[in-house]
Amino acid sequence: MPAIIRTERLTKSYGSHRGIVDVDLEIETGEVFGFLGPNGAGKTTTIRTLLDLIRPTSGRAFVFDIETTVDPVAIHRRIGYVPGEFALYDRLTGGQTIEYFGNLRGGVDAAFRKDLVERFDLDPSRKFKEYSKGNKQKVGLVIALQHRPELLMLDEPTAGLDPLMQQSFYSLVREAQAEGRTVFLSSHILSEVERTCDRVAIIKDGRLVKVDSVDGLRDLAHHEVELRFAGGVPAEAFAGLPGVSDVKVEDHTLRMKVFGPITPVVQAAARYELLDFVSREPTLEETFLAQYGREAVEANPS
Amino acid sequence: MTASASTPSRAAVIPAIPLHRRLYGFGSIYGKTIRDSRLAFIIAAGLLGGMALVMGVAVSNIFPSPQARLEVDKLVGSMPASMVNLFGNATAMGAKLGTLGGYMTFKYGAIFAIGTALWSIFALSATLADEARRGSLDIVAAAPFGKRRIALEKVAAHVTMLSLAMMVLAIGTTVSSTVFGNASQGDTIPPLSSAGFALWTGSIALFFGGLAFALSPLLGRAGSAAIAGLSMAVLWLTSGLDVGGPLVAVSPFHWTVNHIALVGMYDWLPVALVGATGVILLVIGVELFVRRDLGVTAGLSLPGLPTVLLGVHGPISRAMGEQLPRALSWGIGIGLIGALYASLVGPMATQLGHDSSLVVTMGALFPNVDLASTGGWMQLYAELLYIAAGFGAATFVSKWASEEGDGQLEMVLTTPTTRVGWTVAGGIAAILAVAGMTVLFALGVGLGASSGGVPAGDAILGSASLGLYAAAVVGIGVAVGGLWRTSLAGEIAALFVVATYLLDLVAPPLKLPDWVHQLALTAHMGRPMVGEWDPVGIVLCLAIFAGGVAIGAWGIRRRDIGR
Repeated sequence: MPAIIRTERLTKSYGSHRGIVDVDLEIETGEVFGFLGPNGAGKTTTIRTLLDLIRPTSGRAFVFDIETTVDPVAIHRRIGYVPGEFALYDRLTGGQTIEYFGNLRGGVDAAFRKDLVERFDLDPSRKFKEYSKGNKQKVGLVIALQHRPELLMLDEPTAGLDPLMQQSFYSLVREAQAEGRTVFLSSHILSEVERTCDRVAIIKDGRLVKVDSVDGLRDLAHHEVELRFAGGVPAEAFAGLPGVSDVKVEDHTLRMKVFGPITPVVQAAARYELLDFVSREPTLEETFLAQYGREAVEANPS
Repeated sequence: MTASASTPSRAAVIPAIPLHRRLYGFGSIYGKTIRDSRLAFIIAAGLLGGMALVMGVAVSNIFPSPQARLEVDKLVGSMPASMVNLFGNATAMGAKLGTLGGYMTFKYGAIFAIGTALWSIFALSATLADEARRGSLDIVAAAPFGKRRIALEKVAAHVTMLSLAMMVLAIGTTVSSTVFGNASQGDTIPPLSSAGFALWTGSIALFFGGLAFALSPLLGRAGSAAIAGLSMAVLWLTSGLDVGGPLVAVSPFHWTVNHIALVGMYDWLPVALVGATGVILLVIGVELFVRRDLGVTAGLSLPGLPTVLLGVHGPISRAMGEQLPRALSWGIGIGLIGALYASLVGPMATQLGHDSSLVVTMGALFPNVDLASTGGWMQLYAELLYIAAGFGAATFVSKWASEEGDGQLEMVLTTPTTRVGWTVAGGIAAILAVAGMTVLFALGVGLGASSGGVPAGDAILGSASLGLYAAAVVGIGVAVGGLWRTSLAGEIAALFVVATYLLDLVAPPLKLPDWVHQLALTAHMGRPMVGEWDPVGIVLCLAIFAGGVAIGAWGIRRRDIGR
């Protein structure tokens, strides 16, 4: 499958301020790709560079195999975009705003547009300035989706949406994927990425620190294992096993973190009389914490 | 199991906010508002002080002798009675009309007050409403102090800036009269007179600014500014034109008609009354803000525009939809002024055009104007209105430019619309707005001339010169916005207009070298109101417009799009 988005050592700096540094990405056609990172990590800078809204300081980016700085309009024809923050025309209604952006694309399927408006439960007759944040976001999503683009680039797309509307959005993403379209979405809501994405890239301080499948990231994460023994706790028998760390004993209970395969722990535990064996599968959030360290995440709560 | 108690950890010592940060900067709402209004203050104080200085230079050069000063009396004596006191109480000044202070009051007195009041109206109608619209007011209001304090600090900041600007005006007036005026002809304006003039100016500003502030919690920014601005125009005209009726009774211009401080005639009580009314209005605004829901306004229920006028068909129609209200406002405004002027040119030419000494005197200021003909007076007024048309064009540029700062451009440019296409569409929409404004001006001139029984053909066609000049201003603004930053496009276009106006106005009386005068674009327009066009000016204006849009389109391809 050809890469729909490809970057080569993509770098953007704003004078002395860092934007992104040497970002190498490849996103395949038809996948839902999550772009994770705390605030200020470089997610929006990457997206805006891919759209040629800002120009790379060095490196190159290709979308649909077209270099972004060479023919951005050819790219824009085939994408739908929702910025992380946007303001539209206060004097237009939501419906007029959606119609205008449809017209900029030479017109769209009115029935599909109507369907989107209904699915997002949007009242298109109200002036844009009168909308709540969530309703403004719905207008942005309808604008991005109404022309059935091959590639959706969504910068924190569910910001402000209530849980019901988030579900509508997720189902639209699944439908888009089923139709062979590609979705590139940035987020710092881990459950959202875990729920919708096939692969995830993690960006930190402007640099990509990990690109992997959602499952792969989970595999990379630690298992939290808790063993309750009938007799004394043989902590030393587990502390030396490969991948084991943070071994703690409390009464008859042994707790540890296991990175990588859990088999050596299971085999060692089989030699003792156990009252309980609990292994908790890590969430993506814990993976994220492991990548960033708790401090970074707590400093940027979503 | 044991329990232990330890000494509670001591609370962190929070350093006091330095006084200078509370007064200017991020130490308080007051300090931040002062900081936010520094550019507006510089412009307002610069224009007020600059106008005072220019007046001193101009009067001493144009009316150097006692004989020349008599021409001012003649000018007033020959004007239609209803017009004499429009800008200042000329009839009450007597012999002092021929002094610098008298001339300033008669010709420009109300302009100082109206200009300052416009600043107050815009600032005070927006200070809370804009923050509410952005959403930042919610966060400010969640801070541990009440809404009353927020409003009071905001108001106090504007009053501080207004007071400082009035000090600049007072100092500028006295310095101007001392340095440039002729003491033997009574030009010296003592500090008390300057202060009295500045106090009157500031009180008028506070009155209408207070009105805007009082209405803003109910009507929002646009509605309150519109009503305060309209009230100011109506109350000024009803007082200045002495039309009588109940409105005159509530006009602060009428209350203070005998306070002519620049010639030493003081009437402090009405000035205090105007100031006190302004304060009362501000208090009403504060209390309404405290009592009403934050950021919830009724607005003015104006009928919505049809979709075709709002423009949702493409970039040009959308840009035009955004420009339309501005184009109509500017067009109606300068159209009304044009109608008023055009209706008066007949008697002006008949009564003043044959006074040789006046013609010589005015010729020093406006060398190309033939005051003996109605067309000459039309030309004079057109030259005075170039600044209005230029400012109109600057606001069109500013509206176009705001699409980038407000974030709309980011979404537009992720459609198949190109950067060049967006820039050219913006330029076309701005030029259509200029055309609309110019047509309304021409209509006003035509109607005014017809009502005065004056041939209007050349003047109607000549009105296009304002449009040509405005087109050039658009070109400069679009070039700056495309090449550099859209956030500065409107401001730089406005600076160009001010510089051009001052250069064209001051160069002839100061006898500056001709090449200096020729730097002003308006010096190349010929006398279009009498049918004499200068092809150089036409070509220059069109070339600056087209070149500016082309440079802007080229420039925006090369830079990052801002947010």
